[in-house]
Amino acid sequence: MQRHSVLIVDDEPIVRESIRDWLKDAGYQVATAESGEEALEMVEKQDFSVMVLDIRLPGKTGVEVLREVKAQRPWIKSIILTAYPSAETTEEVTRLGVVDYLVKPVAPDDLERVIREALESAGFEPTVTTKVEVRPKLPAVEVVEVKKAFVITKTSLKSMVESLAKAMEIVGVKSRHGKYVYDRITSFDELCLDYDVTVISPIKYLLPAKEPLLRFKIGDWSKVEPVIETIPRVIIGVHPYDIKAIELVDEAFIATNPDPNYIARRQNTIIIGVDCLNPSPKSFAPSMGTHLTEMGFDLLLTDIDTGYMVTVGTEKGADLLAKYAQVREPTGDEIAKQKRVRDEALAKYKLSLDAPKERLPRLLEESYDDPYWESKSKTCLSCGSCVMVCPTCFCFDVDDDVALSLKEGERFRHWDGCMLVDFAKVATGENFRYDKASRFRHRIYRKGKYILERYGRVGCVGCGRCAIACLAEIASPLEAFNAIAESARAKEGAKRITRVVKPGTELYTPQPAELINVTELTPREKVFEFRLKDGKNLGQRPGQFVEVSIMGIGEAPVSVSSSPTRNGTFQLAVRNVGNVTGALHALDKGATVGIRGPFGNGFPLETLEGKDVLLIAGGIGLFPLRSLVQYVLDRRSSFGKVILLFGAKSPAERLFLDELAALSKNPEIEFHETVDKGDESWKGNVGVITTLIPKVQIDPKKTMAVVVGPPIMYRFVIIELKKKGLPDENIIMSLERRMKCGVGKCGHCQINGVYVCQEGPVFTLAQLRNLREAV
Amino acid sequence: MKPKVAFFDFTSCEGCQLDALNLDGEEVIALISAVDIVNFREVKTKREDNYDIAFIEGSISRESEIPRLQKIRSQAKVLIALGACACIGGINCLKNHLPMEEALRIVYGKDAKYYDTIPARPINAVVPVDYYVRGCPPVTAELLKVVKALLLGKKPDIPNYPVCVECKMAGNICVFERGMTCLGPVARAGCSAICVTSGRRCWGCRGLVDDPNIDSEKDILKKYGLTVEQVVEKFKIYNTYAEVTK
Repeated sequence: MQRHSVLIVDDEPIVRESIRDWLKDAGYQVATAESGEEALEMVEKQDFSVMVLDIRLPGKTGVEVLREVKAQRPWIKSIILTAYPSAETTEEVTRLGVVDYLVKPVAPDDLERVIREALESAGFEPTVTTKVEVRPKLPAVEVVEVKKAFVITKTSLKSMVESLAKAMEIVGVKSRHGKYVYDRITSFDELCLDYDVTVISPIKYLLPAKEPLLRFKIGDWSKVEPVIETIPRVIIGVHPYDIKAIELVDEAFIATNPDPNYIARRQNTIIIGVDCLNPSPKSFAPSMGTHLTEMGFDLLLTDIDTGYMVTVGTEKGADLLAKYAQVREPTGDEIAKQKRVRDEALAKYKLSLDAPKERLPRLLEESYDDPYWESKSKTCLSCGSCVMVCPTCFCFDVDDDVALSLKEGERFRHWDGCMLVDFAKVATGENFRYDKASRFRHRIYRKGKYILERYGRVGCVGCGRCAIACLAEIASPLEAFNAIAESARAKEGAKRITRVVKPGTELYTPQPAELINVTELTPREKVFEFRLKDGKNLGQRPGQFVEVSIMGIGEAPVSVSSSPTRNGTFQLAVRNVGNVTGALHALDKGATVGIRGPFGNGFPLETLEGKDVLLIAGGIGLFPLRSLVQYVLDRRSSFGKVILLFGAKSPAERLFLDELAALSKNPEIEFHETVDKGDESWKGNVGVITTLIPKVQIDPKKTMAVVVGPPIMYRFVIIELKKKGLPDENIIMSLERRMKCGVGKCGHCQINGVYVCQEGPVFTLAQLRNLREAV
Repeated sequence: MKPKVAFFDFTSCEGCQLDALNLDGEEVIALISAVDIVNFREVKTKREDNYDIAFIEGSISRESEIPRLQKIRSQAKVLIALGACACIGGINCLKNHLPMEEALRIVYGKDAKYYDTIPARPINAVVPVDYYVRGCPPVTAELLKVVKALLLGKKPDIPNYPVCVECKMAGNICVFERGMTCLGPVARAGCSAICVTSGRRCWGCRGLVDDPNIDSEKDILKKYGLTVEQVVEKFKIYNTYAEVTK
């Protein structure tokens, strides 16, 4: 929809012009400035996505320019490009939050890549890094150059495991009630290496059912600390499909917004896989390409009767063998034997997918309205068994638990899943996936489409656990996939949308912010003004949200109601609807809350600037929209005609009365207001907000409409805007969802394949037309 | 000022109150430093009629219990149902299938004429209830959770999903896979699947989830070999009052 704009600031014409030409060719809008002063003037007038900045400039230096730009438009991603690198400037600009520091000369491809990655990393940037060493690529998933295979005898394997047990915890597969489970192994004889499938996957050692994220003392913000508990551990006997599942979870928890707890466990875990030679009758791993694996393990065993073939996957694995085991080169017969047992195992699978797995996204795309979802989900118990046993279901919820003293507590996360009734329910009571059919469909779409499109790997590894666990016998994705396979047509490749974000350990740690002012708007709504305790600006873009923490109560998403153009504080207008908002309402000036963020994309300022804007707010939709109203007024010359429409249910529910009064007198903005139901005091318009739209004059070619309100309002506003001839691209909306983690992991805010906390909450109608669950 | 807490018992075995005492030493100290317990028959004889939070144990099975409960309701700022009998009617409701005269006769024989009884019901059939601490008996941790939430001014987060969720989290082998049957798929979680984890099955003592798929659960029970009567019996134990047995 939107072309990103780049500002190049360099005093050398040749640098300026060549970069301009490269980037234009790459599809960017490019502007240039030859001095810091000129750049600042341009930034004052216009928003940019990225600024490429020289350090040595005539007049103001690059560092000074950067400082001022950060104060004005903190979201602009800045990249330093200098011929004179120095330690001092590096330190200074890093502190100011530059994305990268490049030394001239730079290759066009490299610059383009850095810009692209900067744009993709919109959203969260952790500010502090401590404790856990976070590496972008895990040693456990690195591939050694020569994959070597050896033979290890069962005796030698036993002594290796027993030696390892002295250094770390060993977990492996045990038999229980005729089924198999992963559990702590104290002696090698308990270990079962020939099994079909375990009840729960080994992911539980990387993402436990319940784990603390933070430990806190209530009222003492210096004692809000991330908790990362992990011990060195070997998981032995992991089947290839589970190894593939771990690789997928790596993608979700490491590649984007790296999760410190997951990473710490992952780095402390050695994976010894074993080929599955007697698969579960419910498994369809070969159809998902997961019955064998070439990587993702440190060592992989194959039972060849006389011993095990052991394949080395990483250097860590090679070290283990060197240190603890006696191995020898395999004979030709043994290599042949390994191939034979694998082939025999393959022949044992009874279930298969009727279409290639690559075709699943398209198949599903075409089956959204299929009666299958409704009819098949009738017997669904919403018991969550399918998502609890699934190795690729990683969604979670976060809660606070306090000690009885009420002085200290923990914030912990626990497994949660989209098949549970309240998963997509927000504090105001709206449940965005309230019926069995839509939950059932969502899960199958995650398995076959959304995860593949997001992470480049199919979301189902074909282990068959859900099919075993489901008492209603409806959970198997294979059955669903095959049921819709008939409409198969074209092939669709995986599109990967991963973002590169600087690793940090404090992903879930809020920063303290002081409440410096509270104003009551109505008995239910108040506006809170905060200042971050570290003195920094929040750096929000209008339309972004933050996660507000009251330790002991919990965390809730709140959109920022003030524009970054107004002093060093930020305002959150909040309706008292839930635990956190209730606790917030009870706070007085001087109190401290926790803030994470800002998160989300915010309103597309680059697209709005230079256009006429029609702003439409219904009820507390004014809260997020107010930040944009302020922004537009503060940069009035960057916009054409500005119209604001506001509708409240009744005169008593009107918000920001002083500001509304000022707006009605402000010649720079055309302002109309209505209430659904008037009373004797009310002299203005009466009627729902849509009745205001026919009254305004707009040019559909150059007008952008920004609409924020309750879900029910959107449908009717869209109808009116379409009557005005506004194209879908010009209608922008901000959506409410349950944004629990803010960093694209917990799954609660998902609309189809989109994480609202990452790609949203602001969407154009054109984008929403492809998101069936949206409006 | 510490909130004053009172415990009251109606038709019940008083096991919930006893179980509420199952705190370790530190928890007891923390609890009594956080609240004033003014009325607790299992612990102290002295009684006070001035309280903020009332825990009600037991279901309502006699006319005379109705005005007593109403009086407590009018005194308490917060009223909490404690245990299966108070929350969902519990096993006392098993007699509701009989005419009341017959129930009296079975229990009291020739002395039946000295007693009165009405069909048993949970306390929310008589007065509005603010919070529920479910289970037979309740889980101490959940009782504390509700107390802490009240003290913090927060709505306690009680699961509205089935026991299966917690059973899977505990890593249990499904009861059905062990050749038995279970109400876990429709019963409300919050107990950490304690019965299944200790080798038994779920009887639904915490009541059912808000929107249980009863038809599907019945079909599953039948598929695993139960007759219609046996299926109904399963539900009756604790959930007679929920009318799922009809």
